Amino acid sequence: TGGRRGPDIISTVEFNHTGELLATGDKGGRVVIFQREPESKNAPHSQGEYDVYSTFQSHEPEFDYLKSLEIEEKINKIKWLPQQNAAHSLLSTNDKTIKLWKITERDKRPEGYNLKDEEGKLKDLSTVTSLQVPVLKPMDLMVEVSPRRVFANGHTYHINSISVNSDCETYMSADDLRINLWHLAITDRSFNIVDIKPANMEDLTEVITASEFHPHHCNLFVYSSSKGSLRLCDMRAAALCDKHSKLFEEPEDPSNRSFFSEIISSVSDVKFSHSGRYMLTRDYLTVKVWDLNMEARPIETYQVHDYLRSKLCSLYENDCIFDKFECAWNGSDSVIMTGAYNNFFRMFDRNTKRDVTLEASRESSKPRAVLKPRRVCVGGKRRRDDISVDSLDFTKKILHTAWHPAENIIAIAATNNLYIFQDKVNSEMH
Amino acid sequence: MEFKLEAHRIVSISLGKIYNSRGQRGGIKLHKNLLVSLVLRSARQVYLSDPCPGLYLAGSPVPPPQPGEPAAGPPAGWGEPPPPAARAAWPEPETPPERPAGPDARRAVDAEPAAPGAGDTLQGGEEPAGGAAAEEEEMETGNVANLISIFGSSFSGLLRKSPAGGREEAEAEESGPEAAEPGQICCDQPVLRDINPWSTAIVAF
Repeated sequence: TGGRRGPDIISTVEFNHTGELLATGDKGGRVVIFQREPESKNAPHSQGEYDVYSTFQSHEPEFDYLKSLEIEEKINKIKWLPQQNAAHSLLSTNDKTIKLWKITERDKRPEGYNLKDEEGKLKDLSTVTSLQVPVLKPMDLMVEVSPRRVFANGHTYHINSISVNSDCETYMSADDLRINLWHLAITDRSFNIVDIKPANMEDLTEVITASEFHPHHCNLFVYSSSKGSLRLCDMRAAALCDKHSKLFEEPEDPSNRSFFSEIISSVSDVKFSHSGRYMLTRDYLTVKVWDLNMEARPIETYQVHDYLRSKLCSLYENDCIFDKFECAWNGSDSVIMTGAYNNFFRMFDRNTKRDVTLEASRESSKPRAVLKPRRVCVGGKRRRDDISVDSLDFTKKILHTAWHPAENIIAIAATNNLYIFQDKVNSEMH
Repeated sequence: MEFKLEAHRIVSISLGKIYNSRGQRGGIKLHKNLLVSLVLRSARQVYLSDPCPGLYLAGSPVPPPQPGEPAAGPPAGWGEPPPPAARAAWPEPETPPERPAGPDARRAVDAEPAAPGAGDTLQGGEEPAGGAAAEEEEMETGNVANLISIFGSSFSGLLRKSPAGGREEAEAEESGPEAAEPGQICCDQPVLRDINPWSTAIVAF
């Protein structure tokens, strides 16, 4: 699949609401959609695997002449719309422009036109001696993708997230300083609902890092900041939601203070649980579960790779400390998942409090092989297959992961490779 | 002493990142640059607060404050400065000697190591963000510190170049991060007159 760098580095992964489709976006502006094959009795070994369904170029590089600025075509986020008819729709966004794509299937075509021949050329009318009714004949499945809306010029700063509202009519897009509310059918207008830009940019102390609508309450949304806080906002309260309804913030542990405390507390991703009762956040070293009813501190904190705490200076030097990891809930909100380095990803079972480290690599991923748990040793006793902290490959990072909405199927993006793991036996973790 | 060296190293790295970010495809990343500037501020504070008289080699005489200099006022940037004691207290057991918290602290501490010519003419005891007054204070502690103040004093000043004629003020401010061209010097201060061995990393700037 090509070199490490380059345009096919996957930049976002997202299942649709049924899990039948999986979309990936990459650095080159392309979107690839995978479809799950229906499980077939005839071929019991093809157990609902994902195959490429459609590929299209979503965004192209652009140049803003006024600001002398190149706009990257990299797809930052993809979000599926709930399906309302035979077609599928998704939103994809780069730094500046959001696009609505409609994906339709064509598996029949009309044959037997009276006035045109097979190639579409007009017939010589003198040869037409009788009329026929055109019939629809089956054809090879063709997937057609067309851009339905382009939502441009809404953002001065870089868009980091989009989220579709449960009302299925509106969605929001967030950049570093502002959040806009759009109607899916209206492209020339958007409402600004959050604006944290200070009057004097010299006073800037925090930026918006991620945002999401509540899964059930169409008036509620959350946004996270680079200072590690979450703000829950209610759109019914005011037109401009600068004043939060709730502020979720954990006081800093003074014993952990360092030059890099602020960087590692920046929240890189926030996700509501499917129930809508909890929020999951990811910062550089931990994932945290927050209860919407408790603002003072998270109810659960899980260490993703605490052994990196003593290496923050090196990670600052090589820019790894700025990596933005995402996080995900499983369908029942009992397990949470996030990526790490060395192509490792971690899962935490909230009920049993057990956690596991797994690796996404070609060697460990022969089809139908069972993933072996990995371990990073931090001194002390070292087991045979342990990896030492110093031999971790920091260029192999798993930033983007997604969990099927209902089943134990996960999609892991490792640079320019996509891994899809399925748990067929049971849903317990080893 | 160790803090100072590590702080200096982090300052160099941070300045390099800010410089490199201006040529980046897609424009300056506000989030990353904000984080880098926060690290820069922390490192700078440790660097300036750690009293190590032996390291202040540059020792150029302190120029008296210009008459037109803005008086020390409320901090112009960065928001609420954390209490200096918290900044200086690293996990290591050793902590810098006691110093009173608050803006006056810097004046007291800096007067000490800058003995060769400092005197008590220092102004601008406020936080790193203060404009020329803070730079004034920095001049006599070496070129590295000078650069630290220049880049630390103004986040937007770092990213913004003078808007071209005809642009609206607001637009110019918003286009600031994107308008900076790679390679452009973002301040006109005469710097680096003295070449110091351990500031050559920044000379390359």
